[in-house]
Amino acid sequence: MKTFFFTGKGGTGKSTMASAAAWQLALTDKRVLAVSFDPAHNLGDIFGLKLSHKKKRYDKKLYLMEVNLEKASVKYIKENINLLESIYSYLKPFNMDRYFQILKYSPGIEEYASLTAMEELLRIEKENFDYIIIDTPPTGLTVRILALPVVTLSWIDRLKKIRGSILEKRYTIHNINGRISKEGIKLAYKESDDMVMKKLKEIEMRFMRLRTFLEGNDNSIVVVFNPDFLSLKESERLINALKELKLPFRIAINNKVEDKYTEEAERIEKKLLRNNDYVKLIRIKRMEPALKKAYTMVDNLTEVLL
Amino acid sequence: MLLKDFLMKIINGFKWFFSVLGESHRSRVTELTSYEERELENIFILLLMGSFAGIPSPPAFLAVELFPYLEHELRVLEARAKDSSDALAELAGLMDIG
Repeated sequence: MKTFFFTGKGGTGKSTMASAAAWQLALTDKRVLAVSFDPAHNLGDIFGLKLSHKKKRYDKKLYLMEVNLEKASVKYIKENINLLESIYSYLKPFNMDRYFQILKYSPGIEEYASLTAMEELLRIEKENFDYIIIDTPPTGLTVRILALPVVTLSWIDRLKKIRGSILEKRYTIHNINGRISKEGIKLAYKESDDMVMKKLKEIEMRFMRLRTFLEGNDNSIVVVFNPDFLSLKESERLINALKELKLPFRIAINNKVEDKYTEEAERIEKKLLRNNDYVKLIRIKRMEPALKKAYTMVDNLTEVLL
Repeated sequence: MLLKDFLMKIINGFKWFFSVLGESHRSRVTELTSYEERELENIFILLLMGSFAGIPSPPAFLAVELFPYLEHELRVLEARAKDSSDALAELAGLMDIG
């Protein structure tokens, strides 16, 4: 399975390009799933379908889906809060359970929920599709989501170290005293018995897998931009962020190029891709808005994608 | 028979006396390590919950996933918060001052 993340500034044509790529790939007899992670979904509008959290069949080989981020975060929070409340039921008299309820407003939860949804999707659909095309939210949010695995892994590393020294101390106390328990709770002193350490390792594994996949050969980041100053500036920032995160930026699409401004478009392409010789560039001409079916692509994207 | 019972009682009494003595010695030896261990537990949970207190902290979801297994650490945090005004006294007690 190969994945393509279509990223870029809002309004540059990410969704259009992602849809065109998905459609063209499906025409070459490949099984394709197009997923939108953009909270302001457009995928359904483009294909003229009402889409939801569940994948929907559009064509023999093409499936479409719009991830409901709010639903994904609520589901994630609910699962964890239910677990918390069942364990900490004694806290109810002190209203501590309310404290857990406010977790859903804590910063970063939505990004994490989208990442969890993405990881789940990639894991489940790995066998069912040859290509997964992902339409992402505008730049800022996308970079934050894609940066999460790296940030989280460094935090997990620190937490694991602290936990390790706690367990070491407990082990010493156990060896001298013959037992270690407080207020009736038997404390774990071995790494293999400690649930916290186990959970930390489990989360670490999950993120490692995701990071390896995102940085790997089967994943490509496509940056869609327009030949104008603002789009150039934002795309430059995006490309730098991708480089910092070691994410594979492989394809650049210069969209909405007008014939009379070809020179300007070339200048912007050169500036944007000056240190990225390995990146494939596609230039797409602006369509006549008068055309009713404006989403029929003239240029063939599959040559580059396949 | 009576004498044997009596002797056993004395022996058991000695056993008990020495075991308590040993235990108290052992617990004195581990007092400092226990203190360190408790502080580390406190730091661990404080780090996880830092975002609620405004200190830089790991993403909130990490805390959410770990909380179910941190009952003991939450109690430690609560106890530390209660005694925070008297931290010096605790330290002094630990070092046998006063």
